[in-house]
Amino acid sequence: MKNIIRIRSLTRREKVFAFLLLLPCFSFVATFAFYPILNSFYLSLHNIILTFPGLGQPFVGFENYKNLIQDKVAIHSLTNTIIFVIITVMLEVFCGLIIALIINRQFRARGWVRAAILVPWAIPTVVASQMWRFIFNDNYGFFNFILFGSNVAAYRAWLAEPLFAFSAIMLADIWKTSPFAALIILAGLQTIPDDLYESAKIEGANAWQRFKKITLPLIKPALLIALLFRTMDAFRVFDLVFVMTQGGPADATNVLQFYGYKKIFAEGFMGYGSTISVIVFLITFLICLFYIRVIGTRLFQYRG
Amino acid sequence: MRRLRIISWIALSIFIFCSVPLFLFNTGCKKKEDRAKIIRFVTWRPHFPEVWDELVKKFEAIHPDIKIVREIGPHSSTAFHDLLTQKLKNKSPEVDVFLMDVIWPPEFAAAGWAMPLDDLFEESEREKFLEGPIMANTYEGKIYGVPLFIDSGMLYYRKDLLEKYGFSPPRTWQEMVKQAETIVQGELKKGVEMYGFSGQFRQYEGLVCNMMEYILSNGGYIINPETGRPEIADKPAIEAVRFVRDEIIGKIAPRGSLTYAEPESLALFVQGRAVFHRNWPYAWEVSNDPVRSNVAGKVGLTLLPSFPGGRSYSTLGGWQLGISNFSKNKKASWEFIKFLASQETQKVMALRTGRAPTRKALYEDEEIINACPHFSDMKDVFLTAYPRPISPLYPAISHLLQRYFSRVLSNKDSDIKSEAENTSQEIERILKIKKVK
Repeated sequence: MKNIIRIRSLTRREKVFAFLLLLPCFSFVATFAFYPILNSFYLSLHNIILTFPGLGQPFVGFENYKNLIQDKVAIHSLTNTIIFVIITVMLEVFCGLIIALIINRQFRARGWVRAAILVPWAIPTVVASQMWRFIFNDNYGFFNFILFGSNVAAYRAWLAEPLFAFSAIMLADIWKTSPFAALIILAGLQTIPDDLYESAKIEGANAWQRFKKITLPLIKPALLIALLFRTMDAFRVFDLVFVMTQGGPADATNVLQFYGYKKIFAEGFMGYGSTISVIVFLITFLICLFYIRVIGTRLFQYRG
Repeated sequence: MRRLRIISWIALSIFIFCSVPLFLFNTGCKKKEDRAKIIRFVTWRPHFPEVWDELVKKFEAIHPDIKIVREIGPHSSTAFHDLLTQKLKNKSPEVDVFLMDVIWPPEFAAAGWAMPLDDLFEESEREKFLEGPIMANTYEGKIYGVPLFIDSGMLYYRKDLLEKYGFSPPRTWQEMVKQAETIVQGELKKGVEMYGFSGQFRQYEGLVCNMMEYILSNGGYIINPETGRPEIADKPAIEAVRFVRDEIIGKIAPRGSLTYAEPESLALFVQGRAVFHRNWPYAWEVSNDPVRSNVAGKVGLTLLPSFPGGRSYSTLGGWQLGISNFSKNKKASWEFIKFLASQETQKVMALRTGRAPTRKALYEDEEIINACPHFSDMKDVFLTAYPRPISPLYPAISHLLQRYFSRVLSNKDSDIKSEAENTSQEIERILKIKKVK
């Protein structure tokens, strides 16, 4: 009897202690994640214009959301964002897979190659974007130089063409974050035991069969995690647009986050801008839920 | 296990220990502030920092009880606006004096960020300044800023080339296009590749400034100040926009102009690769500086052209000094503003940084006229410089205009009329927003 009580009180003490240890982390998440999200939602239900404090903060229900659906610029930037997400994420995971497969092999100076491949990801986005802006410059850009060499008359203003400017931003993003996908996929690759390949070889499976039947199924969880992270991140694309094009030309590179930023920071429409943030949050959250479900079930499949 | 727990406790106490000073730190700082009067001045990185350093030192020598702490923001007006309004909307006491772009006073006044200066900046004093900037600083009968520099759009041209081909500076846009075409073709035969014109057509605030000059010089308006109605879908405005799309972008100006702000377009001109160039007054110093420019001494300056029958207009720009409503040292702040906007300081700025003064008297100052003869020509431009639409919600209006201009200019097949009508409706919607419930 005495023993049991002692154990109980011990576990309670342990629980309190565990809670205490979790407290810093939890308070951090609460201040920097939960509070801003809830506050954004609260703001999005009000009509707040910073320039007109006399207006107060009247509650308007879902009016901001109704206006957002009818806002052509918002719909346009949402479409842009979705196209951006689909194309970049697909290519990033594909490139990441290829990079991972290469750097997973044994070869000389592998450590150096691995480090070099991570460089784009390690460069701050703002710096990278500025660099890409120079690359696509119409007078001295490297891209023109590669295409036309010293035939300056043929140089084109790439970022002045709406369609190309948008592609340029996607290209910059793919360049920058493929290494990130590669890193995650590489981690997945390294968990595959070599004997699987050995026995497959003995059984007479060729390289493609080994890739399809062993590698691909086993790195699926890693692939899905890479997909999840990249989709969430790509949906919130902002800095590339901010530095490279400021949404121009012809609004062709305007994305949802940039539009929200302009509404809140430059125009002072707090309520309406928050509505955009909430929508971005909801979409990323739904994507996240979807992936987690898929990843969850897949993980069980392979464990079982 | 035991050891792990001890380590955990230590970690936890360190966390708590570290978060406490965060709260104490704030109060600690404020105490210091009371002792010496610190004026926090939010400014951008100047082109000539040494001149500013000297001026601040001079002020501190005159007022030993005041210390100026400068906070340097980005040079782009939009980015500077983000930084400054972020502080002001949080009612930060860390801002006392700030620079304002000419389009901000109505916004800052309506939001209650800028302090009205009527009691300090007296009528008799205001009369000594150019009228345009004073108007721009006035909102609903009160004044919110002291003009420090004035800017307005001007036409720079290659004096040597115009002389060589026997042209005098163009009076109309059409004339400018013709001259540019002739000179570009003539120079090409000699193996010199150049463009006819460079201006700012990136999707940003400067695009509105540039386009406004075409529209107004064709007798049109962005927003008619008398009726308050947007007129961008009216005939003069549409014609002007079509002219820019069909005759300028990708013709005498490089297609890349659609990505140019001031630095990129000026680079083209100082490299000697453009015949004509539209820019603000600061470009005069830069393009005549032999270190930074290939065309030093070959640059002419004149009024912007107009359409036949219209008259030349240039967009009013410039920077003002304001005091934050949340400043704790308003009196000392005013001393600093008085010093910066004084005749003496403006003269130093004009002579050494090429910034155009806002005080009328300086345009008759012999020393200035001798050093910068172009200032006397500029005065006429400054007197007629036209403000952008005056509204506290100007940033929203400007974004709509930027989008519209950029959309129609970058697409040769765009339907200007319908795009203009849509934008006009959107602007009207913004203008209808009421200030109070």
